[in-house]
Amino acid sequence: MIISVKHLAVAYGERQILRDINFEVHRGEVLVIIGRSGCGKSTLLKHMIGLFRPQQGEVWIEGENIVSAEGDARTQLLRHFGVVFQSGALFGSLTVAENVGLPLGEFTNLPEAARNYVALSLLKVVGLAEAAHRMPAELSGGMQKRAAIARAMALDPHILFLDEPSAGLDPVTSAGLDALIQELSRYFGITFVIVTHELYSINAIADRVIMLDEQTRSIIAEGSPAELRRQTDNPAIRRFFNREPLPGQTIQPSR
Amino acid sequence: MTETTQPPAQAEAHRLADGRVSVRLYGSLDINTMGGLWRELDVRLRPMQALGLDVDASDLDIRGGGGLALLHCLKAGGFSPGAVVNLHGLNPELEEILRLHAGQDPEEDQTGQRRPPSVLEEIGTAARGLALDFREQIAFVGSMARAMAAALFHPQRLRWTEVKRLCIAAGANALPIVTLLSFLIGLIIGFEGSKPLAQFGAQIYIADMVGFAAVRELGPMMTAIMLAGRSGAAFAAEIGTMKIDEELAALTAMGLDPMQFLALQRVAAGIFLTPVLTVYTMFTGILGGTLVMLSLGFSLPVIYHEMTTRLCVGDIGIGLGKSVVFGLIFSAVGCLRGFQTGQGPIAVGLSATRAVVSSIFLIIFADTVFAAAEFLFSK
Repeated sequence: MIISVKHLAVAYGERQILRDINFEVHRGEVLVIIGRSGCGKSTLLKHMIGLFRPQQGEVWIEGENIVSAEGDARTQLLRHFGVVFQSGALFGSLTVAENVGLPLGEFTNLPEAARNYVALSLLKVVGLAEAAHRMPAELSGGMQKRAAIARAMALDPHILFLDEPSAGLDPVTSAGLDALIQELSRYFGITFVIVTHELYSINAIADRVIMLDEQTRSIIAEGSPAELRRQTDNPAIRRFFNREPLPGQTIQPSR
Repeated sequence: MTETTQPPAQAEAHRLADGRVSVRLYGSLDINTMGGLWRELDVRLRPMQALGLDVDASDLDIRGGGGLALLHCLKAGGFSPGAVVNLHGLNPELEEILRLHAGQDPEEDQTGQRRPPSVLEEIGTAARGLALDFREQIAFVGSMARAMAAALFHPQRLRWTEVKRLCIAAGANALPIVTLLSFLIGLIIGFEGSKPLAQFGAQIYIADMVGFAAVRELGPMMTAIMLAGRSGAAFAAEIGTMKIDEELAALTAMGLDPMQFLALQRVAAGIFLTPVLTVYTMFTGILGGTLVMLSLGFSLPVIYHEMTTRLCVGDIGIGLGKSVVFGLIFSAVGCLRGFQTGQGPIAVGLSATRAVVSSIFLIIFADTVFAAAEFLFSK
């Protein structure tokens, strides 16, 4: 196993966001975290990558606990994974190629020509070579996500964390991104942890799914997408996969 | 990052009889060991000017996709221009991954190519930018005048709670810095004036100097410049961020005029609070100068008498009149620069900077106009 989350609990003041979260991610798999808006998916991801410190629990990544890691050990651990944020989070003052080459310049001893070549190669892998010299503001949402994936891959990470990669994208672009994730997983053996609530993406890319519940603030289901879809006795899971509104959310036609 | 059991990637190169070069790659290749191999290949292969390369990568332990970029560069002749490269020893899976790195370089693609602009192009772009900026300023002044006229006839349309909030944020919260600076400037004028005036036994005139400077010039101008730096920049940043977040588009889509909804309240706040702060600045500036005079041995009634003999209500009126104009300038320019914000996170910072620079320039320019007009009309 490459990631192990143990007894993770998060609260913002009095408000409990996550309660006793336990799961593992296996090397090379695509794990998708799903759940309704506001159930704590992105919060869980941000705690997994060490952006925030949880009130309780541990997150082990390749044998190191990111919650307690400090200094150089933490810096080294951060290099094991790449993160793609919901907005792409490309640096607006740098070109796309410079964005991708930035971690190479900061963390490797590659000569400049090599950095440029690697950055361009990564952009070719994500199908974005023609946009290498453009500024992020000149790219569409899907292109920005692709560029962000290329940047996250720059240091050969073993794990990629993606927060809502399909958010705001049209179905064609979204499907292209799903195909890219599958390709990267297959070719480079990268482990993916993806937060999404896009049903098409879940079915297309997930090896395994964990579902968070906004009521209990914990994991209510775990398994393949097909296995979860079969759990029709659980109303929260059934509503999610069948896109059913909550009772009382629909306007009944008057008779 | 990866623990390596093998030595870092290295290369052996031998020239063959037919002018080709045989290269053997071995060791562990990842993003960390790649730099060394890249330099080694560059140093060894380029001087050899090989007709062809025969690369054996069977002893290379490739870890991660970064190393494949090097292999692709080698295969594409990046280290041996003009040579035919035969790369073998990769397993079929890696061959397939290497295929992902192939593709058209952006340098060959017209859409991605960036050519540095010529001097003429740069002059043209700058001139066009200035013309567009001027046009936008004219349009802004027109829209603002229309919105202000509408507000005069229908004052209830002005969101007064927002004006109050802005007056507190831009004015009341600026009191500490305004107090400190104007007091210190009063002190400076007093100290600087004391020595030359002492040579003529005319130190009593420090009171006139401080009084005139604080009431007619420094009071309104320093207040406006401080507000331009503090609040004008904030106006530009607020409106700029709203533009980037499409909040301005949302207002327009709802049928609300961003000029009336956002700019008018800020300009009204600027016009109301600048004279108030100016009066305060005048007072603290005079207080600073008075302290210097007290330290020189002048009594308070003497200082008061000297100051009131020369200064008249008209001087205060001129100072306050200027402050209204300066308030209009810094708040309107702050809003204009906010509306002109482009895309990306740099744009907001750029707008704030432009707001401060333009405001200070226009405030000093307006002060010059006031001075010239007063000189001409007082003859």
